[in-house]
Order: sequence, then C-alpha cells, then structure tokens
Amino acid sequence: MILEPVIGRYLRLELLGRAHRLYVEEAGQGIPLLCLHTAGSDTRQYRGLMNDAQLTRDFRVIAFDMPWHGKSSPPAGWQSETYRLTSADYTRMVLEVCDALALERPVVMGCSIGGRIALVLAMEHARRFRAIIGLQSGATIDPYYELTWLHHPQVHGGEASAAYVSGLMAPASPEAERWETLWHYMQGGPGIFKGDLHFYRGADGDIRERLGAIDTRACPLYLLTGEYDYSVSPEDTRAAAERIAGVKFSVMPRLGHFPMSENPALFLTYLEPVLAEIKTRG
Amino acid sequence: MVRATMALPLETLKDRAAGDALLARFGLDLDCALLVGDGETDWLVEIGRGEVVRVTKGPLIMPKTDLRLRAASEAWARFLQPVPPPGYHDLFALRRYRRIQIEGDIRLMSAYLFYFKRLFALLRAPSASR
Repeated sequence: MILEPVIGRYLRLELLGRAHRLYVEEAGQGIPLLCLHTAGSDTRQYRGLMNDAQLTRDFRVIAFDMPWHGKSSPPAGWQSETYRLTSADYTRMVLEVCDALALERPVVMGCSIGGRIALVLAMEHARRFRAIIGLQSGATIDPYYELTWLHHPQVHGGEASAAYVSGLMAPASPEAERWETLWHYMQGGPGIFKGDLHFYRGADGDIRERLGAIDTRACPLYLLTGEYDYSVSPEDTRAAAERIAGVKFSVMPRLGHFPMSENPALFLTYLEPVLAEIKTRG
Repeated sequence: MVRATMALPLETLKDRAAGDALLARFGLDLDCALLVGDGETDWLVEIGRGEVVRVTKGPLIMPKTDLRLRAASEAWARFLQPVPPPGYHDLFALRRYRRIQIEGDIRLMSAYLFYFKRLFALLRAPSASR
C-alpha cells in the first residue's frame, strides 16, 4: 500500500470576470513549479513528477485543472455556451492562479497548448517567472486533421479525442502509462479538447513573428520536445527556437507529445538537469 | 517489370484480428468496407459487427467502399518496423507528413479510430509470435 504525497484542494476564485471552482494539486516543497496540462486533459498528467521523491525535495510541484477540465467545473451558465480557449484568457488564467496561490516567481512548465502559452508568457510576462519550460512548444501548427468529429453527436468525443492523440506517444513508452494518458482524454468533457485547440489553431494560433520579443536574460527559457511527436515535431520547436536568442532547446529521444505522462521516469532524466540549472541560478 | 509486393501482410489480417481483445473492445457494431492500397494494388477488407470477415486482393472492379487508406509501399514498410521511426509510427503520423491518403467516411473513421489503428498495428507483429 502506498499513500501518495499528492494533496488536492479546490480553489474558489474570480477568474476572467466569473466565479470559478478549480481543482489544484501539489506535492513537495521549495521552488514552486507550476505545471500546465495539455489540451483536453488534466493534472493527472503530472502524477509521475508529483510522486518523484528527488524532484519534490527541492520543488513544490503544483498543477491545476483548467476550467472545464478534470475536476474543475465549468462556470455557471456553461450549458448555453461553446467553450473556446483564447491566448489572452489562458495567459490571464495562469497569472491569476499564480496570484491566488501567492506563488512568488514560480518556474512555469507547460506541455503542448501549455508549451505554446509558455512562449506567450516568456514574451509578455517574463519577469513574473524564475524560469519557463516549454514541452512540445511550437509557434504554429500544421492542421493535418479535421476537428469536426472531436465533438459531434454521432461520435463518442472522448474515445475519438483519445484515438486522435494516441499516436503522438513514442512506441516504446510503457503501455500502462500510455493507456492512462488516453483515459484522461476519454474522460474529457464534450467539446473541450476541440475548444482548447481553438487557441492552438484559431485566430491567434501563429506567433512566429512575435518570438523575437522574448528576452531570455529576463527569464531563462528551456524548450524540450519528444522525438515521436508529429503534432509539434522537433523540427517545429527548432524553427521556433531559431527565432529566440539565448533559448535552450533539446530533443528528447524515445518520447512523444506527453513526456511527463507517457513515460515519467524517462522524462525526469531530461528534466532533472534543467531544474538543477534553474536551482543553481536562483 | 516485376511489380512491388504489398508491404502489409494483408493476407494474414483475418487470422491476426481473430479474437483480438482491443478490436473487440473498440469495434462494437462496426460494419465497414475498408480499402487499403499501396499505389499498385488495392485490397478490400470487409468488417462485419467488428470482425474481419473477408480480405480480398485486387484488382477490384468498382468496389463499394466506406473508407480508403492508401500509402506508398515504402511508407507501409517503415510503418511495419518493430520500432518504427518517428513520422511512420502511426496512421496519423503518416497523415501529418502527407504519406497517406485517407478518403471516405471520416465520421466512421473517427468513431472507430482506435479500431482502425489497432487493425494496422496488428500487421506489425510477426505472425509467429501471435
């Protein structure tokens, strides 16, 4: 029997002008490390990190379910709305959660859409963070599939969303971790994965021309990308990194789009040197 | 001229699919006429109530199909490797890099995508090990 050191609580706050109830979990102590989950998923993606004794000795690992995701509720009135995430709302959400939890210059680490918003945070709010880590970060995305069927009465949205992302993981990632990752997608609320991708593929979905504004002297920026990801491929992250002076970019062999969830043990071997460097810099 | 052989061992598909737990889990009530091609030869895979009932090698004469997946032999060959290289390891990876043509009833494909991905992944394992 193992009782995990992960603690979950609910945070009630005014977010984007509306009352929200967000699920937040954390483990460890020390430098706050705020982790952002991928589109259509939730904080469980960071279960491996929160259970890593070495990591949580020096870092307070925190993650929240975005509104409409996981155990966070949608705002009252959701039944007559179509959920669509925007870059501005996502940015404000991260900053307001940092304020609500009184996190002082946390490290922020996001994956996929969280990796995209990491770039936006580096661009617009660098001084709020000790360091920024983007996993599977790209400045734009190749729309290689149709979104219609992710939310349609004739298709099970959870199974379809999970199946759409299933190939993004590395073939050698442990089967149990891969299917755990997919289960989170199967449990997503109707239309939520699609609504997240609005931010990713919609009107503000191409930030290539703005990347030059990132000042890595104000806040170090690390970009790590799994080699099997074809949604944000290593080439896609490299193209973004080439526009950012001082960024540290590396490819993670034998990982895919969900490094922290599909193979936490392997991902930690890539993350630990980055965190060690951040800790040393202070 | 020697014609290239279809890289996918489709003639073994019916045996490989029989009794597969994942196909049973994700293939509930699936009826589909699936065409699989490599640019040279087309094969027709007929699925009834989630089971592969017949696999027919072309040439096919005006087949009625629900879904058509065609990729070059070279792409299928890489897809079949035990640990395929990035970009060849999944039907959608092939799609991202425009190595596969996916046509037909995309609603049906989306509803049963786990089934179709599993069907093709079954072709990867050496048949002796199954």
